[in-house]
Amino acid sequence: MGFVLNYLMNRSKDLDNIAPDDLTVEAEAKSVPIVSTSQKPKTEIKLDNRTDIKSSFSDLPKNSSKIKISPEDEITQKVYDILGHTKSPFSSFLVRPKVISFSERNQDEEIYLALRPHWITNIRWIVVFLLMLFVPLFFRYFSFLNFFPTQYQFSAILFWYLFTFIFAFEKFLDWYFDLFLVTNERVVDINFNNLLNKHFAEANLDVIQDVSSSVKGILGTFFNYGDVLIQTAAEINQINFEQVPNPEKIIKLLKELRDSNQGDSNA
Amino acid sequence: MLDLSNFNINNYFFGITKVFFVVLAILYLVFSIIVVKQVTAMSKSVTDKFNSILIIFSYIHLIFSAILVLSMLAL
Repeated sequence: MGFVLNYLMNRSKDLDNIAPDDLTVEAEAKSVPIVSTSQKPKTEIKLDNRTDIKSSFSDLPKNSSKIKISPEDEITQKVYDILGHTKSPFSSFLVRPKVISFSERNQDEEIYLALRPHWITNIRWIVVFLLMLFVPLFFRYFSFLNFFPTQYQFSAILFWYLFTFIFAFEKFLDWYFDLFLVTNERVVDINFNNLLNKHFAEANLDVIQDVSSSVKGILGTFFNYGDVLIQTAAEINQINFEQVPNPEKIIKLLKELRDSNQGDSNA
Repeated sequence: MLDLSNFNINNYFFGITKVFFVVLAILYLVFSIIVVKQVTAMSKSVTDKFNSILIIFSYIHLIFSAILVLSMLAL
């Protein structure tokens, strides 16, 4: 019983930790040929002849450390080591997201990290939205609208609910399209204000001079989110990632990427 | 001579209210069209998994805004 529980726990741990695109999995997959149980092997190995088995396994590399990993893959592995893996597509901290892209992206540009403000920052407008839902009930309860004919009342309620919807929708879009991206080339800040204004700022990794973070308030400390201020030598001299989760990991990642970029330029 | 025999203050009040509501609803419809255009533009600018759902929501909002205008005109 204990063995079974132990096996299941280890297995679930592996599934949580290893993403499908993880390098270690890829390396292992390359080193071990997969044979389907339904397929018959082309050459049969005699079980009594142990030397044949030994010779067939001796061709395989003994450990994955011998496999050559390109510098890009090495950086990717470092990114995973620093950031871990994202388990939810709704997360505001997305590591190497496959689906997110932006119109200004270069062809070979790879997104290492996509950030949105922490989800808890939405709580204020969600509370207001819920209260707004109950306003017509409040009016009906105190018979404020009875003065108007029924058709007027219907139109007023419809208008109120549409207004409530657009209030929440606009706030959600504000959060959803407020993106901070760290790519292999630069850091990008994309923001849409009030559905009408688009703000786009970017800075190459090699012009980043100083990175600082600040975690403020009870919620910020409790949920570990804060602002990350990136100062650059470019024309836009600072980029601010506001209320993003895990600021310390972002600083670590930017330092790592900056160092590897400097290493590349020196080489 | 102004005939005040048929004057009813309620009719004038509801008449003005109706005009006000209709203008408001038309402005809201215009705003809804802008929302659809903006959400589509945002989705083109930033691609993500749930963009299509957001566009659908903006269109549903536009349809309800049109219903609002019709309901205001029917008052």
